[in-house]
Amino acid sequence: MGSLVSAGVAIFHLLNFDSTAPLTTLYENHTLPFGMTFHIGYDGLGLLMIMLTNLIIPIILLSNYNNSKTSESSLFHALVFLMQFGLLGVFSAEDGILFYIFWEFTLIPIFLILYWFGNGTNKILLKFFIYTLIGSLGMLLSFIALRTHATSFDYVDLVAAKLPAKKACWIMSGIMLAFAIKIPVFPFHTWQPDTYTSAPMSATMLLSALMLKMALFGMIKWMLPLAPEGIADLKWLVLILSVVGLLYAAVMCIRMNDIKRLFAYASISHLGLIAAGIMIFTKDALVGASVQIVNHSIIAVGLFLIAEILESRLNTRNMSEMQGTATLAPKFGFWFAVIAFASVSIPFTAGFIGEFTLLKELTDFNPWIGILSSTTLVFGAVYTLRAYQLSMFGAPKNEIFEDLRWNEIAVFFILSIAVVVFGLFPHLISDLVGPSLDRILAIFNAPTSL
Amino acid sequence: MEAIIILFLTGIIALFLGIFKQPKLTTVSSILGLVAAGIVQYFPLDILSDKYNILEFGDAGNAFVILALMITALIILSGDKGFQEDKSHVGDYHALLLFSLSGGIILIGFKDIFMFFLGLEILSIPLYVLAGAKRQSKESSEAAVKYFFMGAFATCILLFGVALIYGSTQSFELEKILEFTAENPVGPIFYVGLLFILASFLFKVGAAPFHFWVPDVYQGSPTVFMGYMSSVVKLVGVFAFVKFFRIAFDNVHEFWTILIAVLIAISMFIGNLSALVQTKFKRLLAYSSITNGSYALMSILYQGSVQDSSLWIFMVGYGMSVVALITISTIVNDERDEISSLKGIGYKNPLIGLVAIVALLSTSGIPPFTGFFGKLMIFSAVWVNYPWLIILALINSAIGVYIYLRLIMTILSKENSETTSKLSITILQQGVLISCLVILTFGWVFLAGWK
Repeated sequence: MGSLVSAGVAIFHLLNFDSTAPLTTLYENHTLPFGMTFHIGYDGLGLLMIMLTNLIIPIILLSNYNNSKTSESSLFHALVFLMQFGLLGVFSAEDGILFYIFWEFTLIPIFLILYWFGNGTNKILLKFFIYTLIGSLGMLLSFIALRTHATSFDYVDLVAAKLPAKKACWIMSGIMLAFAIKIPVFPFHTWQPDTYTSAPMSATMLLSALMLKMALFGMIKWMLPLAPEGIADLKWLVLILSVVGLLYAAVMCIRMNDIKRLFAYASISHLGLIAAGIMIFTKDALVGASVQIVNHSIIAVGLFLIAEILESRLNTRNMSEMQGTATLAPKFGFWFAVIAFASVSIPFTAGFIGEFTLLKELTDFNPWIGILSSTTLVFGAVYTLRAYQLSMFGAPKNEIFEDLRWNEIAVFFILSIAVVVFGLFPHLISDLVGPSLDRILAIFNAPTSL
Repeated sequence: MEAIIILFLTGIIALFLGIFKQPKLTTVSSILGLVAAGIVQYFPLDILSDKYNILEFGDAGNAFVILALMITALIILSGDKGFQEDKSHVGDYHALLLFSLSGGIILIGFKDIFMFFLGLEILSIPLYVLAGAKRQSKESSEAAVKYFFMGAFATCILLFGVALIYGSTQSFELEKILEFTAENPVGPIFYVGLLFILASFLFKVGAAPFHFWVPDVYQGSPTVFMGYMSSVVKLVGVFAFVKFFRIAFDNVHEFWTILIAVLIAISMFIGNLSALVQTKFKRLLAYSSITNGSYALMSILYQGSVQDSSLWIFMVGYGMSVVALITISTIVNDERDEISSLKGIGYKNPLIGLVAIVALLSTSGIPPFTGFFGKLMIFSAVWVNYPWLIILALINSAIGVYIYLRLIMTILSKENSETTSKLSITILQQGVLISCLVILTFGWVFLAGWK
C-alpha cells in the first residue's frame, strides 16, 4: 500500500512537470560545511526513473504475494521500502555526496534481504557487497578529487568545474568503475549470476529492474557531464568492453540450462547494449537508452517472475526437467510467450524501439560495433525461444502444475500492457527525457567545441 | 576549568558513596556530575577562568569536552549492571573514571607543555588501575602491568623530549614555541626533542610502530574500561596530538607531516590485516581502534583541523560505535569473548541487531551514518596534499568493510549460540543502545548545527 501512495505522489509530480524547466528543486540547503549541500530535485530523466521505481516496486510486491516466506514478513517490507527510499534519493539527488550517500544506502537493504531471505552462502554475499563497494569507493575518490576543482559538491558546480584532460580521465574511470561493476560490464560481472541465482525472487527483481538502472542513470546524468574532458580516452574502452560483454553473455545463455541463471546472463547482455549506446552520447542513442531502461525493467520483472513460478512449482531450475508445462498450464504458457516475445523485441514492443535506436546509433558510430551488437538480437531470440521451447513444449514430465494465480496474471497483464504502450507510443518517454538530455549534451559539447 | 573541578568533586563523592556501599546512588551522582560539568562547559561561569588563565577551550574544545563527557556517561550507564554486582568496588570504578576524565579535559584545553603533561598523567594513572580491575583474571593483571610499564616509558621519553624542546626554545608555552621557531633557526636538538614527543604521542594513541600494547591491554581490561580507553582516551589523545603539533611545531611541519603520513599508512594496514584473522571480539575491536585511530590522526596533516568539524564528527561516529559495540559485548557477557558467541544475537533481539548494523556500518564508513561524514571530511581535506594516502585509506576501508560485514553476518545469523539464548538487557543498556542508534543515524544534524 505504501508504495502506491508513493507512486501517487510521483504521478502528481509528473502531471505538474514542465519538461523544459531545467530542474525542479524540491529542497535546497547550501549551508552545510565542507561544500556539501542538501539539494534534491529532478529533471525529465530523473522523473522518468522516479516513475519507474514507483511503478515497479508495487508490481514486485504484487508478484511476491504468493511467496509466504517473504510476503508475510514485516521485516521484508520494511527493507523493500528502505530500498525504495534509497532509490528515489539516488534519482533525485542534485549533489555529488548526496548521490553517493543514497547510492551506498541502497546496498544495505538489498544486502539484508539477500542475507535473511535468500539462500546464498556468506561467500556470495560478501563477494557482492565488497565488489560493489570497491566500485563505489572509486566513485567517492573521484568526487573528492573533483571537489578540488569545484566550489562545492553541488551538481551545478561539479559540472562547471574545468579539468585538465589527464585528471578528467582518471576521475571518469573512478566513477565508471562504480557503474561498470553495478551494470555489470564485462570483466566485472562475476558477482552477478551467483547473486541473482541465490537471491529470493523479489530481490532479484529489485536488483535487475531497479538497482542496475541506477548505474545507467548515473552514467547519463553524472559520469559524462562531470568529466567530459575524459570521454575521448575512455569511450573505446567502455564500448569494446560492453560489446564483448553482451556477446559473451549471449553466448553463455545459449548453453545455459539453469533458467534463473539464463535470465541473469540475458540481463548482462541487454544492459551491455544500453551501456554501449550511452557511451556514444548522441541524442538518439540516449533516448533509445532511456526507452530500453524502462523496457528492460519491465521485462526483467516478468522474466524473473516466470523463473520463480517454474522454480517454486517444480522445485528445480533445470530447464530439461520442465518439459511440457504449457500443456498443463495453458495460461502460463500464453503469458510466458508474451513476455518472451517482448524480451526478443519484436515490433510493437518497447524493446523494438529501444534496441533499434541503439543499434542504429551504434552502426552510425562504427559499423563493426553495430554489426557485432546486432547479433545480440539473433542470440537473444535463440536463447529466449530455446528456454521457452525446453520448458513449455514436449511431453509433460511432471504430472501437476498449478496454473497462474490472480496476482500473477495481474502482474503479467500490467507488464505486457506497459510494454505495448511504450512500444506504440515511445514519445511518452522521449518527450519526458528529451529536454534534459539536450541540456546534458549541451554541457558535453561546450568544452570540446572550444 | 569549572567542569574539571565538578568532575573531581563528583569523583570524591563517588568514593565516599562507595564506602557506604550505595551503588545506585553512586551511579546517579556520577551521571549528575557529568551532566553538570557539560552544562558548565557549555555556558561558562567565568568564576575561575580570569584568575587561572592556564586552560583555553574555544568552541572546538568545548565540543570535544562535551563529547568526551557524553561518551563517558554512556559508558558508565552501559557498564552499570556489572558495577552493581561488585558492590565493594563500585565507588572506585566511578571515581577513577571521573578522575581520568578530568585529566582528559585538561588535555583538551592545555596551553603549555606543563599543563599538557599534568593532564596526560591524570588521564593515564587511573587507567593503569582500571585495566587491572578484574583482579582474579591473569589477563587483566597482565594488561595492567603491561600498560603501566609501557606508559611509564612513554612518559619518560616525552619528558626527555620536552626537556630538549625547552632547552632549544626557552619556553613551555605552545604559542611561544611557535613564535620562537618563526624568528630563529632551530638546531638538531629541537628536532630530536620533537621526535621524542612524537614517539610518546604515537604510543598514547596506539599508532604504529608503538601499537603492540593495544591488543593485549584491550583484551585483558574489563570490557567497560576497554570501551573508555578506545573511545574517550583515543579522542582526547588524538585531539591533544593534533593541537600540540599544529600549534607548537607548525612552522616546521614539512619535517614531521610526511613522517606521520607514512606511519599512518603503516598503522592502517597493521590494524586491518591483523583484524582479519581475529576470533576474539575485544581483540578485533583493539585492532579496529588502531585503524580508526590512524584515520583520525590524518587530521594532523592539514591546517585547521582543531577548529573545524572534521575530526570532531569523525570522533562522534567512532566513539558512538565503540560504545554500542562494548554495550553489546557487555550484554552477551561471555568470559571467553569469542566472536562466535555473538551468533544470532541480532535476530534474537531486533534492537541489538539494528544497533549492531548501524554501528558497524558507521565504523566502516558506509553512508548515511555519522562515521561516513567524518571519514569523508578528513579524507577530502587530506586529499589535497597526500592523494596516495587517501587511496591507501580507501583500500583499507574496503578491507574494513569485509571485516565488519563478516561480524554483521555473525550477529544477524538465524542460528543461535548458547550465550544468546539467555540474554538479559537492563533498561539503562537499552537506553544507551537507542541513543547510540540515534546519534549514529542522524549525525548529519551535527554538521548542520556546527558553529
